[in-house]
Amino acid sequence: MRRLASFLAAALSLAMVALATAPASAKPDCGLNNGKPATGEPIPIGSINGITGPDDFSASARAADAYFKCVNANGGINGRPIKYLIVDDQWRPDVASQVATKLVKDDKVVAMIGSNSIVECLANAGLYERENVMVIDIGVVHECFTSKNIVPFNQGPRLSGVGMLRYAADHLGTKKVACVAWNLPGVVDWLCGGFAAWGKKHGVTVQNVIIDPSSSDYTSAMLQAAALKPDTILLTFTKGGHIQSLAAAEEQDMGSKYKFVSLASGYVVGLPETIGKYWDGKFWTQLEFTPLDGTGPDNKNWLEIMDAYGNKSDPRDTFSQGGYLAAKVATQVLLKLDPAKIDRATVSDALRAVRDVRSDMMCGPWYIGNGKRHNANHAGMVAVASKGGWAPKGNCFEIDDPELDDIIAAEKAGAK
Amino acid sequence: MNLLPFVAAGIGLGSVYALAGVGLVVLYRSSGTLNFAFGALGAIGAYCTWSILQVGIPPAIAWAAGIAVATALSFAYGWLIAPLLRHRDRAVRAIGTLGFALFILGCTGLIWGEAVPRRLTLPTDKMYAMIFSVRVTYTRLLALLLALGMVGAIALLLARTRLGLSMRALAADRNISSLIGIRVVRVDAIAWLVSGVFAGVAGLLLADLVALNATFLTFLVIPAIAAAIFGRLQSLAATALGGLVAGITEAVLIAVPVGSFYRSAAPFVLALLFITLFGGRRTAVLHE
Repeated sequence: MRRLASFLAAALSLAMVALATAPASAKPDCGLNNGKPATGEPIPIGSINGITGPDDFSASARAADAYFKCVNANGGINGRPIKYLIVDDQWRPDVASQVATKLVKDDKVVAMIGSNSIVECLANAGLYERENVMVIDIGVVHECFTSKNIVPFNQGPRLSGVGMLRYAADHLGTKKVACVAWNLPGVVDWLCGGFAAWGKKHGVTVQNVIIDPSSSDYTSAMLQAAALKPDTILLTFTKGGHIQSLAAAEEQDMGSKYKFVSLASGYVVGLPETIGKYWDGKFWTQLEFTPLDGTGPDNKNWLEIMDAYGNKSDPRDTFSQGGYLAAKVATQVLLKLDPAKIDRATVSDALRAVRDVRSDMMCGPWYIGNGKRHNANHAGMVAVASKGGWAPKGNCFEIDDPELDDIIAAEKAGAK
Repeated sequence: MNLLPFVAAGIGLGSVYALAGVGLVVLYRSSGTLNFAFGALGAIGAYCTWSILQVGIPPAIAWAAGIAVATALSFAYGWLIAPLLRHRDRAVRAIGTLGFALFILGCTGLIWGEAVPRRLTLPTDKMYAMIFSVRVTYTRLLALLLALGMVGAIALLLARTRLGLSMRALAADRNISSLIGIRVVRVDAIAWLVSGVFAGVAGLLLADLVALNATFLTFLVIPAIAAAIFGRLQSLAATALGGLVAGITEAVLIAVPVGSFYRSAAPFVLALLFITLFGGRRTAVLHE
């Protein structure tokens, strides 16, 4: 028994060593850039993510963690290090609520940065408003885009899907779409319903195929989608669901009969290689940020920070880009504050004042502002699976979702 | 709407349930323990296979290594942990395996995580039979054959060998078995070893058919329980058949407007109906 325990302990230690930080390849740009480790009183910042469960949504938090480590190694926030607390909500609203209460009330976080969860926004939006906590997250459900205190850096699946359909209608000849979605709160009506509303205005029919997220039967879902006789099948899952549904579709050789497109959740490094050559030129995805291999200064810096301060196994994906940007904006805001007066109230006020953030990682400017809800990122691109990677197609374009009307009106009135 | 394609898809899904269900019952028949860790053992074997394939080692070696890992872990549990629970009732022993499943799930999460997209493919994915104009890959048929093969192999082992006799005795009553000279720990460990081999093979097939995802594979034992109930935790053949029926029902329900939302509950609803209608005294085994 003891021998087994020692063996397992040794195996786990080896695995952890293998996951340890990779050596720095270039000197990344972050915070004060002075090379001095921060030693003052830590500033607590939280992040809630669905880590264990159907999929791992911690890429944004891992990127923010790498950025904050870089900041802490380079003078911190005028001498004060950031204490970044990443917690797992296990895809459970009750857990999300518990951990948020702990972060807000016990750990006294000054902000939440880089969160990404299916259940968190709905469970905690009220708490964040009551306690005046600002959240810069990666929004994946409707409730992440309807709160005063939750500010997504990404477009979200709704805009991402509309953007993909807009491109498919303009360039791939899409007229009839089967929207395949998990039966989750806020997903079916908000996503597929939204695509149908957009389609009505643009002569595209959208019908739904709804499946239980716990089901292991994607073949029936694909057959059901085919039975609707669409020309395009839109997948709205996370990467795990994409892999399962594309494998089922490949089994039925559906890739040669239908166009397969997805939300930005499909834009994952390694996904084209995982799904195989069959999908070369056949599987399209939308991009919430600019391409992952972009050569602009911010994109290069993101990759350098991930190499220097992240783990080798941390994904370098679209959510990771968002986590990096969220951490960067938060750091810039904190650096402008008097380090002795950094608390939740001063940080929330300073974050609400953020305007006109520009980066080569985004198709347009980003801002926070005082709006009742936030959806500043509304321009994107598309890419297609090609030779084991992603080939970007075309340039950035604005997404014309009718749901954005209030945001666009506020921007015209000066919210940007 | 033509439901026949969904029936064919259901045969594919049913083969998954049948395999997982038989895996659950196989150890129950041979040592009296319901093995909730069957899916997790298969998952960790499949992850090992995936990792080995990534470094370019030939598939046959990678598959063998994956099966070996599942077998070794299963044997280790049967040799080291299971004896500590030998005097506890069946429910406690079953919960012990659930703990083991969660431990393995934690280890796979720690070592591999879900951040990287993964897929395990087998050469049989490219070969298929057309059933009701739906392609049913050989991997799915292989899963069904393996489930039936396990049924036959275990039935033969239990009925025709001395070891099988000892296993049956052990499954029936541990105390009396030890009194009549059966080496309980040894026979138990062998049962775990056999179950581990099946878990390893099933893990490779299920990772291909369902997903290379530890959580998914670990909790595949839940619909498998429904299949096992069809077999009253005793009959391996009825379990395999139950898995098939559950799979076909679940697949066909997607074509029924309201049914599609609740179709993953189909195996349990069927199992409950089965107990209600045909349960009687013979379901007593479920309460032991």
